[in-house]
Amino acid sequence: MESKKFKKSFSRRKVLISGGAAIAAPAILSITRAYAANPKLKVGFVSPKTGPLGGFAEADDYVVGAIQKVFSSGLSNNGKTYEVEIISKDSQSNPNRAAEVASDLILRDEVDIILAQATPDTTNPVADQAEINEVPCITTNCPWQPYFFGRNGNPAKGFDYTYHFFWGLEDIIAVFTDLWGASGVAKTVGGLFPNDADGNAWGDPELGLPKPLSEMGYNLIHPDHYQPLSDDFSAQINAYKEAGCEIVTGVMIPPDFGTFWAQSAQQGFNPKVVTIGKALLFPSFVDSLGDRGNGLTSEIWWTPDHPFSSSLTGTKAKELGADYVSSTGRKWNQGLGFQHALFEVTADVIKRCSDLDDTIAIMASISSTNISTIVGKVNWSNGPVKNVSKTPLVSGQWQKGSNGLELRITNNSHAPEIPTNGTLKLL
Amino acid sequence: MATDRFEIVQSSSTSRISIFIAFFIIIILFFAPWWAGRADIRLLSEIFLYLSLASLWNLLAGYCGLVSVGQQAFVGFGGYLLFALTIFAGFNPLLAIPISGIFGALISLPIAFLIFRLRGAYFAIGTWVVAEVFRLSFAQIQSLGGGSGSSLPVAIVKSIASNKAMRESLIYWMILGLTVLILVSVYLILRSRRGIALIAIRDNELASKSLGINITRSKLFVYIITSGLTTILGALIFLQKLRISPDAAFNVNDWTAFVIFIVVIGGIGTIEGPIIGVLIFFLLRETLADLGTIYLIMLGCVAIAVMIKAPKGVWGFVSSTFKIELFPLSRKLKKQIKEN
Repeated sequence: MESKKFKKSFSRRKVLISGGAAIAAPAILSITRAYAANPKLKVGFVSPKTGPLGGFAEADDYVVGAIQKVFSSGLSNNGKTYEVEIISKDSQSNPNRAAEVASDLILRDEVDIILAQATPDTTNPVADQAEINEVPCITTNCPWQPYFFGRNGNPAKGFDYTYHFFWGLEDIIAVFTDLWGASGVAKTVGGLFPNDADGNAWGDPELGLPKPLSEMGYNLIHPDHYQPLSDDFSAQINAYKEAGCEIVTGVMIPPDFGTFWAQSAQQGFNPKVVTIGKALLFPSFVDSLGDRGNGLTSEIWWTPDHPFSSSLTGTKAKELGADYVSSTGRKWNQGLGFQHALFEVTADVIKRCSDLDDTIAIMASISSTNISTIVGKVNWSNGPVKNVSKTPLVSGQWQKGSNGLELRITNNSHAPEIPTNGTLKLL
Repeated sequence: MATDRFEIVQSSSTSRISIFIAFFIIIILFFAPWWAGRADIRLLSEIFLYLSLASLWNLLAGYCGLVSVGQQAFVGFGGYLLFALTIFAGFNPLLAIPISGIFGALISLPIAFLIFRLRGAYFAIGTWVVAEVFRLSFAQIQSLGGGSGSSLPVAIVKSIASNKAMRESLIYWMILGLTVLILVSVYLILRSRRGIALIAIRDNELASKSLGINITRSKLFVYIITSGLTTILGALIFLQKLRISPDAAFNVNDWTAFVIFIVVIGGIGTIEGPIIGVLIFFLLRETLADLGTIYLIMLGCVAIAVMIKAPKGVWGFVSSTFKIELFPLSRKLKKQIKEN
């Protein structure tokens, strides 16, 4: 009896019918937005809110909050008003987690555009997921060489779905040598490059700093690349002392620079100019160095004194900085402008797109972008490679002001449209 | 003299039913590409990968007493092998994955030679040191991106199958198949003669040695198998991540700390434990991960609470309270009823 019943309920025909229905289900269930009454767009945003890169995301909550307010009234496209939702995710400063949340945004939330910012550890895993899943992706806040070549990009072909705006190493070289030339110190430079994405790009003998510096007559002393979170820089310090380095440069994470700078003092190494990328970007870290923070120099990508304004809200850089300071009670930081600009570009892409249901149309809209944002022009038609647009770079110095240490623009010959507001002093 | 006859039984009615149910669940999961969305497939794949890592770690630590905190060495090694074999040797990823397992098993031999001299906490630290050596070594290989890391070219991923859905399904089936293979192998190893030897070694190494068990050979056998399989898992993990860097590949948090959490919460030294643990872990992660730091604090609190309230993990508590075993491993004496 039992077995008969069993046979009956699982007859060949029934299995075939239900199996066929199951195979067809995915095709039937997919609905397009075109039929929805209130069209809605989803924008995913990945950023390192927690962990060692947290400083880069300090302005996140403020920027996303302000942009959400602007987006709440909707963005118009082809006569229709689209509701835009921003879904923000934390990469925990971990590239594994960045890839995970990116794929979650793409597959589960089905975002139409994905954004990411801050260092290759965030931009690259997110862009890789976007490229393979064919989702438009815009990133910023990472020099373009580690972004492009770090992803095995081929300059002849480029990428299909992933675009990036920021400056590159050639700009770093230009602004650093501009600053050193103006300082008038001896042309012997100590280089500090870690074995990480940025350090390898900056220290690369062909594509990085070494070759152009020697062409410009600088003598670059750089021992082997050190491991990040190193606790002993005596070997480097000794080498610099022996060679008589008056300039120190490199790209370091804040804790490494803190260690190096303290050990330099202990071991009596006193260079006249210290120009370090990445570590000296954020006021919170430079303040923690106390008096030893005064006079350090760094690249500058954005300040509230930049002569730009937002294409989305019309806000001037100065107003954005002032509003950030007054509403969060923190000092402004350079990431603020770029985070705002990322959403400016996104809004512009959405408004100009010919068909928001078509990924190809969104990509066409991204690649034809040409706007003046709060960080400068973004235009992918005249970048160094297909997927990169460059923003202007200057350099400057942390100097004692009325509010503790303040970042002053001291050298601008690489981007003269950005005025200086200070003069370089030797350490 | 009337003699009572006894026999040794392993299975029970619960375990027979559970094996039937497990079989049924596997069939349902096999058809997931038809009933689940792309995001669910991705989540299931990740759950299976963690379940596999946890089962293997459980076999090492829970049954062999080899408490390793350096399993990330093999996960990262597998990831890098996948990149090297596909980018430089031109292998299809689906072929590179099993090959990476062979390399993983081979490299585990010299490692075992070094770390098997250590015991207990020293062994744990030794495995961690090995993993750090791996991380620092791979950071020096410039052709694989050095410390910067490298991305898997899109063309290589597309060589699995040009169609997005087919590609995702193929990877999913590989992961599901591997997970089932790992669970079944763990079960069969533990039911075998060698399994009894392993449990004896875990409980008392000296006593089992005096009973004639070849300790080194038994441990080595398990270590090589788990290393090879963990390497394969690493290759599959980074086939999904698409990007590798030394810090991501040899991440002690992602590939060992979370795995230990899963096993300890679920119940160490049981096959069911990792399954329960992985479900709890993903339940917490999917609901709380957006809270940032608070999420990690909560994971810690859950671990502390379980260790105090149920030191044998959730499954240990359930099985000792209700006397059930889904995967029958323990042997019970049963009086045979004679029919005269």
